[in-house]
Amino acid sequence: MTLNQVAFIILAVIALLGGIGVVFLKSPVRSALALVINFITLGMVYFMLGHQMLGISQIVVYAGAIMVLFLFVIMILRSQHPEEDTSLWKDRRFAFGLLGGALTVALIYNFVIQPTQSTYGATFDRDYGTPQAIGKVFFTQYVYPFEIISVLLLLGVVGSIMLAKRKF
Amino acid sequence: MFNILHQIPIAAVHDEIPLAAFLGLSLAMFALGSLGVLIRKNPVVVFMCIELMLNAVNLSFLSFAAYPSAAVAARDPFASAMAGQSMVICVMAIAAAEVAVGLGIIMAIFRYRNQVDVDDMNTMRG
Amino acid sequence: MEQEIFKNIWWVLALPIFGFLIQAFTGKIVIDNLGPKIGRRVMGALAVLPIAASFGLATQITAALVKMDEHHRSEILTLFEWITVGNLSIPFEVRVDALSMTMVLIITGIGTLIHLYATGYMAEEPDYPRFFTYLNLFVAAMLILVLGNNLALLFVGWEGVGVCSYLLIGFWYKDKANSFASNKAFIVNRVGDWGLTLGMFMLAFMAAIVLGQDGTEPRWLSYDVLLPNAAKIAAGFDPWLLAIACILLFIGAMGKSAQFPLYIWLPDAMAGPTPVSALIHAATMVTSGVFLLNRMSPFFALSPTAGAVVAITGAITALLGALIAFGQTDIKKVLAFSTVSQLGYMFIACGVGAYWVGLFHVATHAFFKALLFLGSGAVIHAMAHNQDMRNYGKLLKYLPITGSTMLVGWMAIAGLPFMSGAFSKEEILLESFASKLSWYGLPIGQIVFGVALLVAVLTALYMSRMTYMTFFSGDERWRLIPAHAHGHDDHHHDDHHHDHDHAHDHHHGPDTHNFFYTDAEMSAIAAATPHEHHHELDESHTPHEVPPSMFVPLIVLAALSVIGGGWLFFGVNLAEWLHSAGVVVHHHEEVKSIPYFIQKTLAKPIFWGATAAFLVGVLGGWAIYGKKLPENDGMDTSKWKSWRKAAANQFGVDKLFTQGSIRGGDGFGKISWGFDKAIIDGIVNGTGLLSKTFGKLFSGLQTGYVRGYATLMQLGVAALLIYFVYQIVAIGGGK
Repeated sequence: MTLNQVAFIILAVIALLGGIGVVFLKSPVRSALALVINFITLGMVYFMLGHQMLGISQIVVYAGAIMVLFLFVIMILRSQHPEEDTSLWKDRRFAFGLLGGALTVALIYNFVIQPTQSTYGATFDRDYGTPQAIGKVFFTQYVYPFEIISVLLLLGVVGSIMLAKRKF
Repeated sequence: MFNILHQIPIAAVHDEIPLAAFLGLSLAMFALGSLGVLIRKNPVVVFMCIELMLNAVNLSFLSFAAYPSAAVAARDPFASAMAGQSMVICVMAIAAAEVAVGLGIIMAIFRYRNQVDVDDMNTMRG
Repeated sequence: MEQEIFKNIWWVLALPIFGFLIQAFTGKIVIDNLGPKIGRRVMGALAVLPIAASFGLATQITAALVKMDEHHRSEILTLFEWITVGNLSIPFEVRVDALSMTMVLIITGIGTLIHLYATGYMAEEPDYPRFFTYLNLFVAAMLILVLGNNLALLFVGWEGVGVCSYLLIGFWYKDKANSFASNKAFIVNRVGDWGLTLGMFMLAFMAAIVLGQDGTEPRWLSYDVLLPNAAKIAAGFDPWLLAIACILLFIGAMGKSAQFPLYIWLPDAMAGPTPVSALIHAATMVTSGVFLLNRMSPFFALSPTAGAVVAITGAITALLGALIAFGQTDIKKVLAFSTVSQLGYMFIACGVGAYWVGLFHVATHAFFKALLFLGSGAVIHAMAHNQDMRNYGKLLKYLPITGSTMLVGWMAIAGLPFMSGAFSKEEILLESFASKLSWYGLPIGQIVFGVALLVAVLTALYMSRMTYMTFFSGDERWRLIPAHAHGHDDHHHDDHHHDHDHAHDHHHGPDTHNFFYTDAEMSAIAAATPHEHHHELDESHTPHEVPPSMFVPLIVLAALSVIGGGWLFFGVNLAEWLHSAGVVVHHHEEVKSIPYFIQKTLAKPIFWGATAAFLVGVLGGWAIYGKKLPENDGMDTSKWKSWRKAAANQFGVDKLFTQGSIRGGDGFGKISWGFDKAIIDGIVNGTGLLSKTFGKLFSGLQTGYVRGYATLMQLGVAALLIYFVYQIVAIGGGK
């Protein structure tokens, strides 16, 4: 049992716990915090995979910005209406969802994951996850998506401001 | 040169942790996320479950980027890794924008309804 | 070899058309400018002249035809290609042969006389030029009918005369009853036209199948293609098919020639002016059915079934017409039913195979019936437009010329030996007696002979009744009508709906139900219309003889009634003459000379039988009606009352068919409406309902329930995943 394996197991377990927490915790604030845990551990897993830049981005963007936004909204909405989710287990869609989820899991495991447990040569340049590499690619090969994403972000900004205004 | 990993003495994971492990984690997160979408009543929580799913997909992309298959390894694994990462960056950006807009929508709706129930948003029915 | 003289046939056709156009477009202008008296004379002359000129040209052409060899005695002239469709070609072609020229002579000859008569009869009619417009148009249409070389042109003429009959019967359209009568005529005619059209198409089809498949012979409706090949065409099909085609043609003839049950229009047609009744409903239009049968005789001769149907229908019609005539008190109605009966005779002849005899009777009947109608018109004219025979009596004193000519006509129709009527009647009796026609074992010929003989007796009887009541009789019955002040005028109505025979229904004024005019407008119109005052028939009335324009035609027709039959029979040898035109003639006697002929005739029992019928009728009529009306003569007529009433109502036939078709049409309309509402609307609305239901079904999916949508999305994704995974695993990568 190497260090990597142990680290991975610990991180995976915590991430899963976070995920479970998101789905099953009654209070939305607690769900949000569980999701934060999930994101952070996920960032660490990215590190393990060699994606350094993305690991950091995950923590900064997702856990740092998006989840903060979520918490803001939850706080605002909770102040208006303090009701919480009730009768979770009695919801019939719960069973349906559980079933569907189980099916999906079983199918994907059976048909995708097991067959991919084959060997691959993984000897290539380990610099693939560095910011330099990503930046280089984003300004040469993937410059169009880059630009379009920036427009998209602009759209997002403008749109959210429009929606949030009380009067036009 | 600025590769941190070269300085941190973490051995290469490729030999020790199989791809299936990462994919399994991704799968579990995705399943949990989709389950949550169906179960939860609070739309913000539903949104968070959607984010969970997105992250699961991100993980999957990155796993495949780091673990190229034999055929890809024969050609150009580096490019495949870059492609995977670029995809994930795009997804992240989009998710961010989506969260901003989506939460704005939720806020706008609930400003007028004073409710936090997904089931009440059912006026578009036939 | 086309002789130049035959080209004149186009003039024969064109002159009445020119007359029609001149009358139509210049009539009003002339009368307005020249005044009624002179203007009407001018228009009258302009109406008679074209017909007379046509008659002259027709005589010339016929003379040229006589000189031709009897086996090639026909000429076809084409004006233009009228219809060309695929393998069918119908040119506008005219056939000059014995049959058509005979008819042309009858039409134009008697037409001239009647036009002349009409100039006198309609002299006080405000709508004078309109009458002659229609009359000339009628002659033109009738000429097209008889001269056409193919069934299509015959049909054009057929329809044309139907239209003109409608226009002329309803000439005094302001009286609604006349309009109803003309509608009835046209509609009943139409029923016949249905049969004619179907028969025409059947024959064309049969001809096309047998003859013209390869396009070598495109004129499948033309006589010179159909008639010589009749046997060949008939041989190509089952006999019953030919029988059906012939019976369909005969249905057309039934409509035009007033056979049972399509005769119901003819009595009502007496609502038209008398010249119309004479020309159209006695001499020409109603004989077009007989003409059709003569033309198509090669086909009819090949189908004994059709012949039997024709003969039986003719017999029924003859008998029915004769019986109904007894119950009529209107002089024109008696003549109308007499026409129906005589038409039945003609079809008896055609049915048993003696087609030329049918045409012979057409000619002689044209002579004496036109005479009788015109004479009756003169009587009506003289009696202040009163048509009820019970108001007549002893008119011979006052109307010598009319009376004597009417007596000649009476003798002709009753069958005085050696007059025209007797000739043709005898021939009919002869042929039916000798006929070997049998149908399902029944000797049709002999049965029909018996009916014909009975009808001969009845004919003589009711015609004698009419003559005695009108011209002889012991007293002048109109003197019994008390005089009454005349405040209103009689608008011209020669007849009303036959139910109101004697009461004058005053549907005066143009628009009794205010459909078009308000009351104020109507009285303005009534005030503006020039009134011609006639006084009513009352005790102070003295009948006066008619002007020359009216009695000259009477005299000519009387002369024809006497000598016409004999002349046609063996002067012209009508049988051979018509045979050269393709009419089927079974046997006819060789007539060598008059004394031989007389001797031969006297030796025939049929001759004595017919003469006996004549005597029974005439003398019996004298016995009953000679001195006075039976009622006044002390006879007990109470047991006749129910019979008379039934006869007056045509034994319910008219009512049956008229009401039956009205009710039937009504009922059918109701059923159709129900069908339309239930089924068609149901289908249309049901389709809408169907899409609505489907929509409702699918709209159930649109719950608005977000989580429901999410669930469905999940399921869809799972399905897609399964599919792709299957591709990867099972097929190995897929696409």
